[in-house]
Amino acid sequence: MSLAAVMPPEVGQRPDPGQRPVISFHGVSKTYANGTEAIRDVDLAIYQGDFCFVVGASGSGKTTLVRLLIREEAASSGRIFIDGHETTRMSRRRLPKLRRKFGIVFQDYKLLPKLTVAQNVAFALQVTRPGQRHMKEKVEETLWIVGLEDKLTKFPDELSGGEQQRVAIARALVHRPRIFLADEPTGNLDPDTSWGIVQLLLQINHRGTTVLMATHNREIVDLCRRRVIAIDSGRVVRDEAEGGYLREGEATI
Amino acid sequence: MRGLLASVRFALVAAGQNFTRNLAVSMAGVFTMGLIMLLVGGTILLTHTVDAILNQQEAQADEIHIYLQDSLSMRTIADYEQRFAHDARVNGVSFTTKDQAVILAQQRGLQLQSAINTLGSNPLPASIDLHVRNLNDLTQLNSVAKSLPIVDTSSGSATDYSPHVIPVLKTVITWTVWVGTILSIVLGVISLVIIMNTIRTAVYIRRTEIEIMKLVGAGDWFVRWPFILEGVFGGVLAAAFGATIVALAYRFVLDQANTQAFLGVSFDGPFLTALVVLLVVFGAALGGFGSFLGIRRFLHV
Ligand SMILES: Nc1ncnc2c1ncn2[C@@H]1O[C@H](COP(=O)(O)OP(=O)(O)O)[C@@H](O)[C@H]1O
Ligand SMILES: [Mg+2]
Repeated sequence: MSLAAVMPPEVGQRPDPGQRPVISFHGVSKTYANGTEAIRDVDLAIYQGDFCFVVGASGSGKTTLVRLLIREEAASSGRIFIDGHETTRMSRRRLPKLRRKFGIVFQDYKLLPKLTVAQNVAFALQVTRPGQRHMKEKVEETLWIVGLEDKLTKFPDELSGGEQQRVAIARALVHRPRIFLADEPTGNLDPDTSWGIVQLLLQINHRGTTVLMATHNREIVDLCRRRVIAIDSGRVVRDEAEGGYLREGEATI
Repeated sequence: MRGLLASVRFALVAAGQNFTRNLAVSMAGVFTMGLIMLLVGGTILLTHTVDAILNQQEAQADEIHIYLQDSLSMRTIADYEQRFAHDARVNGVSFTTKDQAVILAQQRGLQLQSAINTLGSNPLPASIDLHVRNLNDLTQLNSVAKSLPIVDTSSGSATDYSPHVIPVLKTVITWTVWVGTILSIVLGVISLVIIMNTIRTAVYIRRTEIEIMKLVGAGDWFVRWPFILEGVFGGVLAAAFGATIVALAYRFVLDQANTQAFLGVSFDGPFLTALVVLLVVFGAALGGFGSFLGIRRFLHV
């Protein structure tokens, strides 16, 4: 049963009504080529410095939302604005510039197994800003932020899952993005390690970066009491400023 | 500038990695393409050489040598010279003395001195040499010349010309050009398919890297260049391989032909150099273009 059918979405807290959102969706829908309606008529506004959880069951459309943000997928209808630019009409040629506003990590860390920790992080700079000065310092500073300053020359398969995800976070962070996206970053990790990763994301957010984390990890969402955007069957069914994984008073399974 | 250098370096290193990480497939591709280059280069060189032989033969073929009896007086010879000079089919007449015949023969590499010493006299006949205006008149003029009372009938042929080989060689050239062209086109298409397939494998091996490059915002061309360079590199390597074999074979075949058949075709260094350059450029272009097609098909950037 769809929650959307019974309950209207609530609206999240807006820190400053005059401020322009860094991310906004206006009636966005996404239907895949095979006919699956993954996102349906979504309106969203996320402001600079927000920390949002995007929650929902598997298949509810969280990953599709992330892909729409970085224009890995094009919206079928509606308009998306990032940083004031309408990305739904953006030409291919301008996508690299758009993507550089984001840092993104996934459930599988997508590290390059033949490169060391430092090389994996440096890779992101080499392919976007080749020949940039002080690359080494930037890489080391970023690895220090994620707590891996003593693992620079290790290879991914010499690290634990949590450490590998930290390397991925450092790689996503090294160019100092405005928006940090994490799609189920703790999906492969045990609870303690997961909590460490979330702490790190909160710390990144604390430095001013907007963070969006898609998850179905209930404990984490409930502990953090941050903004929660709940999706069900592609619709936003709840948007709460300091929410839990489930609606207040909703039955737990 | 720093950025450009770093980009070039990145592309070169990545292209080298593409090539070596995938060494078996790359080498198989290079080898096959090398054979194709060999065939294309070999065909071009064969056509050129046959053409050179033909030109040489053709230059000689407009001459009829009428070999003369030794006892003729200078006056008789001059009379016949006059007669041929007034013939409309004849372009020019010259006279070769017995001594000049020896010199000419020696220039062609024949060792005659010992034969002359043994015989005690010069065995070569003097000749009246006709330059024929039109090659079609050769046979007719030759039979006229043959029946003259002045010809030397004692040894071999009374006259000498070589008209038969020319149409044969011309057919050979026509066929070589046709077969060569069709073969090159078919093999060129096969090369493209081979290169595309190699690029497909390279893209597959690099898929995580490509995904990350796109995610962090690398430009399309930044992603494409390593694959283009890999194709160019493979194409050049294949061309070098093919060209080396063509050059060695050319040398060897010419040496054999000249020592055993007195073909008198000389080694054409400048043409060979031009051919090698052409093959390398062709290989690079084919490799680059094949990669480009492979990228469009498999890379989706
Ligand atoms: N590339 C795709 N093509 C077709 N359908 C897809 C594709 N990706 C996802 N979907 C479908 O879209 C819906 C939402 O998927 P997804 O966004 O991955 O959800 P979540 O990340 O919340 O698990 C699912 O029904 C899924 O099967
Ligand atoms: Mg997902």
